[in-house]
Amino acid sequence: MTSAPGDLPEAARRRLDQGAFSSGLSVSDFAACLEMGLEPVGLVQGFCAMQWGNYSMVGGIGRGSTPFGGSQGGYVENYQCPHGMISVEHRMFGQNYEQTWIEDSWREGFTNAYARMIEEAQALGAHGVVGVLDSESSFGEAGVIEFHARGTAVRVLDAPPPTQSPWSTYLAGQRLAKVFEAGYVPVSIVASVASIRVWSSCVTEYLMEGTTGMWSNSTGAVEIDQLVSAQSIARDVARSKVRAQLLGDALHGASLDVVTREFSKGDFEIQSHLSGNRVRRFKDVDPLDVPKPTVRLS
Amino acid sequence: MSDVSSASSFDLKAEVRRAIAFLDTAVTNSKSMTSDLSIDEELNLHSIGWEPVELVSGVSLFSIPFGCWNWGQGEIDAASTAHAHAFHNAIARIHHDAAQAGGHGVVGVHIERSIHPTHVEVSLVGTAVRPVGARAIEDVNVFVSDLSARDFTMLMVAGWEPLGLATGASFVFAPRRTMGAVLQQQSQNVELTNFTEAMYSAREAAMERMQQAALGMHGTGVVEVKVVEGPMRFATHAVGFVAIGTVVRLVKPLHQLIRPTMVVSLNDRIVAFDAQTLS
Repeated sequence: MTSAPGDLPEAARRRLDQGAFSSGLSVSDFAACLEMGLEPVGLVQGFCAMQWGNYSMVGGIGRGSTPFGGSQGGYVENYQCPHGMISVEHRMFGQNYEQTWIEDSWREGFTNAYARMIEEAQALGAHGVVGVLDSESSFGEAGVIEFHARGTAVRVLDAPPPTQSPWSTYLAGQRLAKVFEAGYVPVSIVASVASIRVWSSCVTEYLMEGTTGMWSNSTGAVEIDQLVSAQSIARDVARSKVRAQLLGDALHGASLDVVTREFSKGDFEIQSHLSGNRVRRFKDVDPLDVPKPTVRLS
Repeated sequence: MSDVSSASSFDLKAEVRRAIAFLDTAVTNSKSMTSDLSIDEELNLHSIGWEPVELVSGVSLFSIPFGCWNWGQGEIDAASTAHAHAFHNAIARIHHDAAQAGGHGVVGVHIERSIHPTHVEVSLVGTAVRPVGARAIEDVNVFVSDLSARDFTMLMVAGWEPLGLATGASFVFAPRRTMGAVLQQQSQNVELTNFTEAMYSAREAAMERMQQAALGMHGTGVVEVKVVEGPMRFATHAVGFVAIGTVVRLVKPLHQLIRPTMVVSLNDRIVAFDAQTLS
């Protein structure tokens, strides 16, 4: 994550100086934090609204007619028509390409919201932020997405003042306590998005329509290579982007969500979103005894 | 390690301070690990000497010939074959992904499966695991299981091991009734034997395929079988039956009995004081 941009509003600064703390923790998580020696100091939040209009690089014009439409520094794979020139509607090329500009916009929105949340935590003198929630939602205006990050800033009791940017984690309460007891310390939340656009080749389109015979090069059930490749790459890219943020640490509690959107016939976006807790081991593994199964009698 | 929940001598606050201080000084040079397991699941794995190594996935999409759902009799072979091949390829890819990462198996696999009129889609995501520090093994020897890490731990403690994911699917036409039968039955509440028989036919074929897959892995049984069955929403006279489970084999000479400890909650079952009664 980048460092805070230093744009905390004056009103927020005044509010944070008032003294009373706020927290997004449930009562049980609040109690568990106190048990760990983590004192809540404030509910911290960061927002960023991003223009999201530039979704299509070339608006569909030219795609499929050339194998060199390409991506901007990302994955590209071309699929050539095996049939030759048949009609102007016939797709001579199919293409999968990574929409790096979408991924960059997402990263900028997410990172800005995150950095602003962390800046508020720093202003409160917090060591870390627990119970982080992040969300994206569309504004009424088309093509605008709001990124929102929020969590509870905490100070470690009887510890020297923080010298670094606060750590963060999606966890709170007993789950966080177990992370510490298992020998891990939270470093930060990490997240990434991969966006793969699919401009179906003629064969892919025919297969998706269930066409058999010479057009789809099949007479029965066959694998749709172009979509398999796009789906696999979407997952791999999201994973490699998160890995690049780990710097030797571990990712725990990862959540991988994949969404497919169809803009028009044969024109898809496969977007995968991976997030989780970056944690660092601070002591060697010391396994528990094998857990004892219990049965609750009512 | 101290007991996470009950050790009174364990100073959690001191441990947290120690951990946070470590952030100021440490620069790690170890290999990154990714996992979708919770901390509880990781503790379970460590308790039997296993560790997570990597988040892995496998995907496949197979086409289904147009119109195959509408007319015909018996099994809809193209759909059953597409489903079987899609699973086979998705499993092969997650095997490969896990073996590349050094895993010996994949646990907690989330299975997403969708059947459309002209294609079937299968996506598998899970965490590759291995005995702590073990060397990489070949793709074919990696097991894939949708058992959670907790269930995997219990299975291993009981002396069993998972061998892989077994699936069986069958899609069958429910024959159309004759005009005479339709007219005769339209004012009666009667069993539609064409649908019932189609369901039985699909079930037998699917269960047999899953069991054949288990035998092919030299397993002795299949646990946590999930069944999805019923009419296909996009085809009025087609029914489907899909069974998916984890193949297991006893590796110890005998099943190890796990005797659970009985616990009784001391919480009151009836709330003695309710603020609403004051009004």
